[in-house]
Amino acid sequence: MTNGEPDLLKGLATEEIEGALALGVGLTIASGTELFHLGDTADRIFILQRGRIRLTLPIHVRGRVEEIFVEESTAGQTVGWSALMPPYRFTLTATALVDTHVIALSREALREYFARYPGVGYVVSLNLAAVIGQRLQLFQAMWLREMQRTIELRCA
Amino acid sequence: MELFLMVACLALFGMAVTCLAFSAATRHEETRQPEVAEQKPAPAPVRTRFFADEVVAPAALQYQVPLEVLLLQIESHVRLEQAAAESFLESPASASLHSRTTSPLVH
Repeated sequence: MTNGEPDLLKGLATEEIEGALALGVGLTIASGTELFHLGDTADRIFILQRGRIRLTLPIHVRGRVEEIFVEESTAGQTVGWSALMPPYRFTLTATALVDTHVIALSREALREYFARYPGVGYVVSLNLAAVIGQRLQLFQAMWLREMQRTIELRCA
Repeated sequence: MELFLMVACLALFGMAVTCLAFSAATRHEETRQPEVAEQKPAPAPVRTRFFADEVVAPAALQYQVPLEVLLLQIESHVRLEQAAAESFLESPASASLHSRTTSPLVH
């Protein structure tokens, strides 16, 4: 079990959570090691059990490509949900900030499980939509703030 | 004859004195001119409109902040913006959406 209810499995019964987590494989990611890289094929999602994952995007700074912080995920959160949506490519790079333990769930194993237990698949889909929706709203607000500043600069 | 020679000598002497006085006076004026010229402010260098001028100034400025510091400032900016956006999502209002930031990248 994870430390706390994983956001992806919220609303499920304990045995359903245990059943879903049993599909996964535990992985320990050493501090500073990449869990996945932008553009890689995404066939597994990762539920953080312990540690911290830093999500980054490349940006050009002074003629060099630097990984810029986008978001930090902690225990109970899910990273790599590109594995559940076409085109199944990671859109961020994930790196462990400290020694981190994750449960890796393959897309195929989850599909089979959801086909067998549609109720679980429905709840997980709602949770996934909530996480994605929240992320969308967050970045929409951030984008609007940047737009506001750009307008203020242009009109100053 | 003696009188003629005396007048001629006096005339030559007078002319020599006049020439000396004139040359001294003109030399004095010539030496003054550079002093006046030195007092003039140096003309400002003419700004060329070549693109290189526009590139040099920002390049000199951008390295005032070390890269590591700049990257930390970017990360700090993203964290502050996320916090502001989360605050807006908790209680959506125009004021909270456009609240001011303390990010060094903006100020």
